[in-house]
Amino acid sequence: MATVVSPRGQRYVDLLERVWGERKGLVGWLTTTDHKRIGIMYFFTALALFGAGGVEALLIRTQLFGPNGHVLSPAAYDEIFTMHGITMIFLFVIPMTTGAFGNYLLPLMIGARDMAFPRMNALSYWIYLASGIFMYIALAQGHAPNAGWFNYVPLASKTYDPSNNIDFYGWGLIFNGISSTAAVINFIVTIFKLRAPGMSLNRMPLFCYAFLAVSFALLFALPSLSVACLFLELDRQFGFQFYNAAHGGAPLLWQNLFWIFGHPEVYIIILPAFGIATAIIPTFTHRKMVFFPLVALAEILVAFLGFGVWVHHMFTVGYATVTTVYFAAASLIIVIPSAIQLFAWIATIMTGTPEFKTPMLFIIGFIVFFIIGGLSGVTLAAIPFDQQVHDSYYVIAHFHFVIFGAAVFPILGGMYFWFPKVTGRMYNETVGKVSFWTTFVGTFVTFFPMHILGLMGMIRRNYTYPAGLGFSTLNAVETVAAFVLAGGLVSIVLNLLISYFKGPMCGSDPWEGDTLEWSTSSPPPPYNYAVIPTVTSPYPMWDKADRELDNRRLERGEGVFALGHRTPGSTVQDAEFDELLKMPPHSIWPPVTAMALAGVFTMLLLGHLFIAVGFAAAIALALLGWHHRGSEP
Amino acid sequence: MSAVPGGAPIEPETPAGAVRLAQRRQALPNGWWAMALFLCSEVTIFGTLIATYFYLQFGVHQWPPAGIAPEKVTDPSIATGALVLTALPMWFAARAARMGSKRTVLGLVALALIVQAGYFGVQIALMSHDLQHFSPRGTAYGSIYYTLLGAHHAHVLLGCLLDMAVLWFVASKGLTNYWLTATRALALYWYVINGLAVLVLLTQLSPSL
Repeated sequence: MATVVSPRGQRYVDLLERVWGERKGLVGWLTTTDHKRIGIMYFFTALALFGAGGVEALLIRTQLFGPNGHVLSPAAYDEIFTMHGITMIFLFVIPMTTGAFGNYLLPLMIGARDMAFPRMNALSYWIYLASGIFMYIALAQGHAPNAGWFNYVPLASKTYDPSNNIDFYGWGLIFNGISSTAAVINFIVTIFKLRAPGMSLNRMPLFCYAFLAVSFALLFALPSLSVACLFLELDRQFGFQFYNAAHGGAPLLWQNLFWIFGHPEVYIIILPAFGIATAIIPTFTHRKMVFFPLVALAEILVAFLGFGVWVHHMFTVGYATVTTVYFAAASLIIVIPSAIQLFAWIATIMTGTPEFKTPMLFIIGFIVFFIIGGLSGVTLAAIPFDQQVHDSYYVIAHFHFVIFGAAVFPILGGMYFWFPKVTGRMYNETVGKVSFWTTFVGTFVTFFPMHILGLMGMIRRNYTYPAGLGFSTLNAVETVAAFVLAGGLVSIVLNLLISYFKGPMCGSDPWEGDTLEWSTSSPPPPYNYAVIPTVTSPYPMWDKADRELDNRRLERGEGVFALGHRTPGSTVQDAEFDELLKMPPHSIWPPVTAMALAGVFTMLLLGHLFIAVGFAAAIALALLGWHHRGSEP
Repeated sequence: MSAVPGGAPIEPETPAGAVRLAQRRQALPNGWWAMALFLCSEVTIFGTLIATYFYLQFGVHQWPPAGIAPEKVTDPSIATGALVLTALPMWFAARAARMGSKRTVLGLVALALIVQAGYFGVQIALMSHDLQHFSPRGTAYGSIYYTLLGAHHAHVLLGCLLDMAVLWFVASKGLTNYWLTATRALALYWYVINGLAVLVLLTQLSPSL
């Protein structure tokens, strides 16, 4: 705990240390089921893939620096921009937010000692890692997916893309989707059932609401993508006819299925950013969040309404006006819950006493970019305008303001915000502020001119453009700014890396934060809390009496649960104590199962069905081993 | 063990403790929730498959295409009816598990397994028969027809494997908290798969109705 522990309380702490102690070394990391270690593994894997996606972005920008560029061939350009999109969306943003931030922070924020299913949590990570490697093997072989991240047929059909580039996409995304599905089931059950007794739903932090909303959105959105990819692979590898108009199939089926997933996906990407913002803003404005219940409802409403707008990506395919008008209206309606949150953030900042430390600056940047990206999104809901700028750089500008400006800036702010909690050390504030301004200016200057280029008629996905169209100057400016942006991102990584070794120690609660994670030591011990915390409001760290009560409870050994790997389970709505859950300590089965699953998908890619069945049998055996000593439910 | 708020210690290590916990617990167990959420995902998959079936149908003039006879109603309906009836032994098995009656659980799950495996065998035979008349490669109708049925049969096969795992572990380890919850989750799985069987059947037979 944060305060000095008495000898009597220390007895319980020592017992917990023995029970929850992690294995050391590589084996410890391979077999870990600790949500914090898994979160850290997610973080570094996602960061590495962010680096890869960033290098791809710089290659694209370098190619487009001037007219008639020759840095990349047309075929290489197709692969690079496709991998950039796939990487940033499937392999960076979602794993970074749900995998890294969610895994590390969610159990801490709700006062639990781990996720509901620790081994399934580890399995999610190992599958994610394997699916990332699977995708990047394609690039290393020169056979990376090359039909854009939304991979439209018939371009992606066997007729027009006969090599196995697209098969890496099809099988890779199904593979990756298994990881996400397992992860979100775990998040939902953890939020429903593992909240500290007393943390009823109306006392749950808004961060957790955002993750609950995103988990449900992913759960219901991913099947559509998986089915679309399954149809694609059945067409490509087994001669089925789902997308072949000549045999009764429908190419537009792909677009519908993809965007039924793809538009909720935008909110899946941005909702965790909302959650991070709602965690950072109260801390640095020193006041409670304005409109707490409305913000919680708005987070859930955004996820729900996100399922009803997908056709606004398809305004140019020739659907009837009544159809497109419905989806245009739905796209405008979704502005309402987004604006509720926006006004709540702004009102909280304006009515509080804001302190502009680096994490808060990134949140201000997020708000600015979200407004810009949101407003350009509203313009795209206007059907004639959308038809005019469809497939132009205007669209690229819009979604980069949303996906990079609005979704990634809170991630960067969150990295600074929780760095002291994860490492126990403070970062360099001056370098932090410099990194913010570099990143902010780099982002704005890279993406804002794309609006103008789009309105001038520059088409996306073309590997170059001729001289004399007036595109050259703005493209050159964008490319220079992209390198400035990359410099800002590198400075963040360097700041945190150097601070990890040389930063001053910072104690358990350097920000006077409002949520429970700040009540435990930095970094948190393997058991998270010596006493399962008392919760009587959504801002438990500001309830000083409750924290003092926890110290007294530790003296009495109340709520310690030290005899075994245990955490309390509670009721869904009111979080009343319901049972004591026995958690599995560590396990080799998650990585083994993930390896066998990787075998299945590799064999499917290569068309060796019988060997794939063999690997499926290996999964069954691994699961038998897994359940041989079961203790989770 | 430590005192817990609101009552006596709960130690579900033994079958007797597991039964006490199951009867005292206010909320549904985590394993049940996980199965429910997994099934949400699976139901969405079937929703997508069935929507695809009708989306493709609305895009063509003749469905099924010329040369493919509409599906006969009797055989798949009888098989599906038998499968749906297995919800009863599964419901009683889940109830018996909460009461700690290991032998009843084993008997009822085994009974359900026999019928479910029989359903699977009949459906594979019917599908083999269909394959002699039209291929999934010939038309989009064939593609969605076999994919929809194949997805459902795969879920039935998975359910049979889960039945066998539960039978094995309950027989060897007893109705501990883990396997008690697993039995309840398995019952939930079959309720949903049985419901999906009806929807898949209605979709399959829609040209004949």
